[in-house]
Amino acid sequence: MLVMSRRAGETILIGDDVEIVITHIGRSRVKVGIRAPRETLVIAREVKLVREENLAAAVATPPAALSSLVARLQPAPGPGTTCKDPQPDRSSLQSRCRQDR
Amino acid sequence: MPDFETTSFGRISYEPEWTIEFPSGLPGFEDRRRFAAVKFEKSAPLVFLQSLEDPALCFITLPVLVVDPQYRLEVSGEDLGQIGLAPGKQPRIGADVLCLTVISIRESGPTANLLAPIIVNLRNLKAVQAVAPESEYSLQHVLLPEEAPVCS
Repeated sequence: MLVMSRRAGETILIGDDVEIVITHIGRSRVKVGIRAPRETLVIAREVKLVREENLAAAVATPPAALSSLVARLQPAPGPGTTCKDPQPDRSSLQSRCRQDR
Repeated sequence: MPDFETTSFGRISYEPEWTIEFPSGLPGFEDRRRFAAVKFEKSAPLVFLQSLEDPALCFITLPVLVVDPQYRLEVSGEDLGQIGLAPGKQPRIGADVLCLTVISIRESGPTANLLAPIIVNLRNLKAVQAVAPESEYSLQHVLLPEEAPVCS
């Protein structure tokens, strides 16, 4: 990896089209300005990872896999134990959907 | 009450005032803004986040506290601003926001995205998927049986 030292206000050029400007250097983070062609995707690495994760998560789930997940999330309470609602935010958003089929 | 045809659940009815709105969509689905949170008794505690613009788009989610009862939010000021919350103060899960983690079903088993939870402001139902780059949480947190809610 090429490592360059730059001061605030200085610029790095990548190829002919991409310009990176160090706009501000704070104590724990730097602000970077990026000038790139419209068709070039500029995205933080973690957002790219979340994007890929979302694309994987949005794939239709086989019903069997879903039932097994539900089974793992709903353990049968043992004799004599009472099961408290484990998620305090669950009641906050009531299901307002009705299944018609 | 309007209804909407979905791939996963058939036709569902929803109350428009309970539509969850993502002002900038979600990473990978930037143009999908309106969702309904769908729950069924038999699949509790799962919450299905069904797009109201794409019948085939449905995320399986769990309330984040089901996966990790000690979960701490680290939402950026920018993300808080997007859903109408004041920056500088983390919202309280349950009181201020609904916090859902997106589940991926992999061959190796289900994982939860704890790095980027979905935060819904309970006052206006605006939502954002808050990527927390500085948090120690995993993008693919493995859901093990012992991490399922335990009766106490």
